Amino acid sequence: MRTFWQLVLANARDIARDKMSLFWFLLFPVLFILLFGFIFSNEGTPTYDVGIVYESGNPLTEGLVKGAGAVPVFKIHVGDRGSEIQALRKGKRSVVVEAPSQSFAAMTGSGDPLKVHVYYNETEPTARQVLVPVVEQILNEAERQITGRPKVFDVVAEPVQSMDLRMVDFLLSGILAMALMQLGLFGAMRAVSLRERKVLKSLGATPLRRGLLLVSEVVVRMGMALIQTFLIVLIGYVVFHVKILGSWLVLLGAVLLGALTFVSMGYMLAAFPRTEEAGIGLVQVVQFPMMFLSGIFFPVEIMPSFLRPVVNAMPLSYLADLLRQIMVAAPPEYSMATDIAVLGGWAVVSFLVAARFWRWE
Amino acid sequence: MKKMDAVVVSGLRKTYGKTVAVDGLDLRVGCGQVFGMLGPNGAGKTTTVEILVGLRTRDAGEVSVFGMDPARQGREVRSRIGVQLQARGLYPRLTVKETVTLFASFYERTLPVDEVIEQVGLTAKARTVVRALSGGQAQRLGVALAMINDADLVFLDEPTTGLDPQARRSLWDVIRSIRSRGKTVFLTTHYMDEAERLCDNVAVVDHGRVIAFGSPSDLISEHFQEQAIEFSNSIPSVREKFEKLPGVTRTRFSENGATLYTRDVPATMAALMQLATGDGIHIDDVIVRRATLEDVFLKLTGRRIRE
Repeated sequence: MRTFWQLVLANARDIARDKMSLFWFLLFPVLFILLFGFIFSNEGTPTYDVGIVYESGNPLTEGLVKGAGAVPVFKIHVGDRGSEIQALRKGKRSVVVEAPSQSFAAMTGSGDPLKVHVYYNETEPTARQVLVPVVEQILNEAERQITGRPKVFDVVAEPVQSMDLRMVDFLLSGILAMALMQLGLFGAMRAVSLRERKVLKSLGATPLRRGLLLVSEVVVRMGMALIQTFLIVLIGYVVFHVKILGSWLVLLGAVLLGALTFVSMGYMLAAFPRTEEAGIGLVQVVQFPMMFLSGIFFPVEIMPSFLRPVVNAMPLSYLADLLRQIMVAAPPEYSMATDIAVLGGWAVVSFLVAARFWRWE
Repeated sequence: MKKMDAVVVSGLRKTYGKTVAVDGLDLRVGCGQVFGMLGPNGAGKTTTVEILVGLRTRDAGEVSVFGMDPARQGREVRSRIGVQLQARGLYPRLTVKETVTLFASFYERTLPVDEVIEQVGLTAKARTVVRALSGGQAQRLGVALAMINDADLVFLDEPTTGLDPQARRSLWDVIRSIRSRGKTVFLTTHYMDEAERLCDNVAVVDHGRVIAFGSPSDLISEHFQEQAIEFSNSIPSVREKFEKLPGVTRTRFSENGATLYTRDVPATMAALMQLATGDGIHIDDVIVRRATLEDVFLKLTGRRIRE
């Protein structure tokens, strides 16, 4: 037991004093989250600038300002006709609404409907398709209140969890999966480096059991996985308010399973190359496609269908899916049982291949 | 009761592909001595050591370390020996003390970490990380790791290679102190002077075989009753004259020098001086010395050990 802890300590120290590896394992995922988180957090819900030609004392204008102001995606600007149209031309408004300026009494007296002009920006496709009907809707509501006609339908908006998933939620769990993959794959390259530098050989000249050496390496990796998870979840919570919806214990299990799978894969890859450089090249070949095709940065659905078999073969797809389901209750891509089974399968197969082809020197 | 030999090797053979590294090697190392395996690079020294400590398998032959076969009882053998490997790899970012402490944890019985660091003269460097050590300091750390379990048998593979003369001497002192505690030291070297001064017994190896075995002084007197006269001279045409000088039994010529082995130093010297003054043959840098292991190697193989 003393030997085991000394090995864990030695490994942890040797890694912790390597500034490059600290950057990759701790700072890199954090930078990723901050970068992508900030890029995507603005995009969440679009807002539209709506200009209203204002005439004080005109009840229709007042009603319009009130009605449009209640629409969350509208940013209301009021002004005289000239300045609002000018703003529209400059692209600072999506639509400008101009209500008729007749008095309210005159309005209701005549038989013809009053004209409400909606000017829209022609180059903005959503303006015609979305904004004009919304303005019409507001006016209908205003008309109903004026005429006192009873309401037949009432729309009740009910949020469903999946609709609530923000891009940041999606990214955070994906980046955690990515970080665990890199920890496992690149981490195992340390074994190649230790072999290349004959550290494994010199340990082999002592009565140390080699299995113990391997176990201590894996334990250190698991510890690092937990630190990474904590850091990523913490930043998600503090900066982007991503709350962990699932159970912490289940998350812990998933993180350990994911780390184990990729550590296993890492040792499989580490069995073959002779130099650390060759090993890192090999890992890049494996991790790069996974990073971009496993739905880390964008949903799998938007990928062309011929890539689906590739996506379905990659363990990272399943880890990202599993973490997403646990962390932010994302709609499942696969069932949790499938996720766990595929990850476990990769872990076992990789371990067997690693054990078969492993070289100590 | 006869004391058991520390190491017995007979008919050891190891090939890498078509290269024969060890070719029927025989050795016997008694307890309590410094034993030297002496030979040029590529003679099979490192391969032999790695087989003895159980890092490599052998193709043929018998090997025993304290009566055990390192190929079958590797852990038992390794727990009773200390090993310093040539070009040993260590965790680059651990300090000297952390490294020794780590290795100490592999053994049941160990010497105090600080004491071992002190013995190899690294106390001032105890908190320095391994990769910041100089070549000589790293070699001494390797020796410290070989000493940490207070083993009865310590293998040192080329421990002084690449060290400056002062560092070599201080490492010799460390090796002698291991012997003074009744331990056996098995070292390999390609330094003839090191083997001559440090070792109780040497095996001279070449091409994977032992070509001479015994104490350095026995080996020298067995092969040379003569003493050697060395001088520089670069005229090949006069070599014949040197060979005919009185007392000379053997000669060696290199590009710009000559070695005459003689049973009668005064007679040979007088005649040599005669050649120089009378016949005007230019000779320079004359040295008279007794024969060394280098001469033995030269006689047995026709080559210098480092060529």
